Amino acid sequence: MKQSPQLQAAQARMAPGALTMDGFLGTDPRDLAEILEDDEGAVRRLGLAHEALAADLHRLTERAIGGFGAPVAEGPFELCACEAMGVLPCPFGEPGLHPKAVIEARRTDTGERLSWTALQVHLIRAHGFYEGRGSPFRLEPPVLARFLGLHPPPQ
Amino acid sequence: MGSVVSAVLVLAGLGAFLALLLVLAEKRLASSGPVRLRINQGEPREVEGGEPLLSALKGQGIFIPSACGGRGSCGLCKVRILEGGGPLLPTETPHLSPEEIDNQVRLSCQVKVREAMALEIPESLLEVEEYPVRVEALTPCTYDTVKVRLGFEADAGFSFRAGQYVQVETPIYDGLSEPVYRAYSISSPPSETRFIELILRRVPRGICTTYVHELLLAGDRLKINGPYGDFYLRETQAEAVFIAGGSGLAPFEAILADMAERGIRKKATLFFGAVSRRDLYDQELLREYEEKIPGFRAVPALSKPAPEDQWEGETGLITEVVARGYESMAGMEGYLCGSPGMIDACIRVLTEKGIPEDRIYFDKFS
Repeated sequence: MKQSPQLQAAQARMAPGALTMDGFLGTDPRDLAEILEDDEGAVRRLGLAHEALAADLHRLTERAIGGFGAPVAEGPFELCACEAMGVLPCPFGEPGLHPKAVIEARRTDTGERLSWTALQVHLIRAHGFYEGRGSPFRLEPPVLARFLGLHPPPQ
Repeated sequence: MGSVVSAVLVLAGLGAFLALLLVLAEKRLASSGPVRLRINQGEPREVEGGEPLLSALKGQGIFIPSACGGRGSCGLCKVRILEGGGPLLPTETPHLSPEEIDNQVRLSCQVKVREAMALEIPESLLEVEEYPVRVEALTPCTYDTVKVRLGFEADAGFSFRAGQYVQVETPIYDGLSEPVYRAYSISSPPSETRFIELILRRVPRGICTTYVHELLLAGDRLKINGPYGDFYLRETQAEAVFIAGGSGLAPFEAILADMAERGIRKKATLFFGAVSRRDLYDQELLREYEEKIPGFRAVPALSKPAPEDQWEGETGLITEVVARGYESMAGMEGYLCGSPGMIDACIRVLTEKGIPEDRIYFDKFS
């Protein structure tokens, strides 16, 4: 994938302090195009689609936000949302504003923990973007798929 | 021979045409010196051409809210451009509805000032000004929430309606490339002109709240601009329900102080939702307002009280507590301040109970 001027502009908006304090790319030296391409491949190798991962994350995010800050249970997950007033735009420049919320999740059966933001649900669904390596909210596709209990369909 | 002459003439013509295009493009795109802006049919103001309209307006002391610092990604900095402004840009169209495009609404951060322009900006935004302030006190409300008192310079002239908010400029620190603005409700009453108070809950990795909670000290200087918002008490006879979550108590503290001072009589109940007792604050203050304001009562509610809380008050999500409190809310008004999720959920409850959406007031700081 070629780094288009649009992706270059998005990458600039992902820098620390532009939209969020830590930014979206962490210590990742790769271009945004390369990050997207690599994660696209990782998701494909899992036999999944971004939409499937985003759909489950969306469901858990909505459930967590519904707890207004208190822990809630959803299947094997214990969820808690820390929601702040205000909104965040999509760094890709897409219209719309997204709530500022961090979801802390724990699988009660394995003890595994994962956290993500409400904006990430949109970033995965609309852009196949899981943030850069070293970013506090980077979601490695295989780790996310395992956490959500999504397995590739049988060959 | 004739064909050579023709080819030379064609090439020369093409060159001249391209040169003309370059001249036109330069005239169109480059900085164009002083440019006149006419705002709401007022006296023209002269600004330097070539910069984005959002920055040009800021230079004139006109602050248009923006959540992305003028990067064209939030779509908040909309103004009507009645004359000038050039064609609609591809970076604007995703943020504009067909009605807005028909009404000549533009994104002020994307439009470059290159020619005389006639603008229409809401009058309330023209009242917004920037003020230098000094941090007078930082008082913890809970483990993650702090009340900040910001003092004005003498005769600053800041005035606001109870319920409105200001934007606080977070200066450059720890890798920030430029100052960032964030919105916070004023918790002190409008009658107090020497200072304002804000309540800030810490947001994980939040740019401004991290700065305030970790670095800000009494005596430091900051800049704010405001006031903003149309969240204020409607002085009708209708009974009101106030619903607050977390730092969302701030505008209600201003409204209640204003009601007490001005003797406003209006039946009102404030529901304050928290997770456990450690998230509650200013309960004594609310008890005082119950004494001072006839018809007012405060209902704190905990969604997950800890065993050591020994809580005997209301429990459950704030939406459940409110729903339990009223058979019907027809004829009432709703005032909401909290997280976007809480506001959305409360709107559903209030409308189901009979309050029309146009009588439910809130600021999501968007």
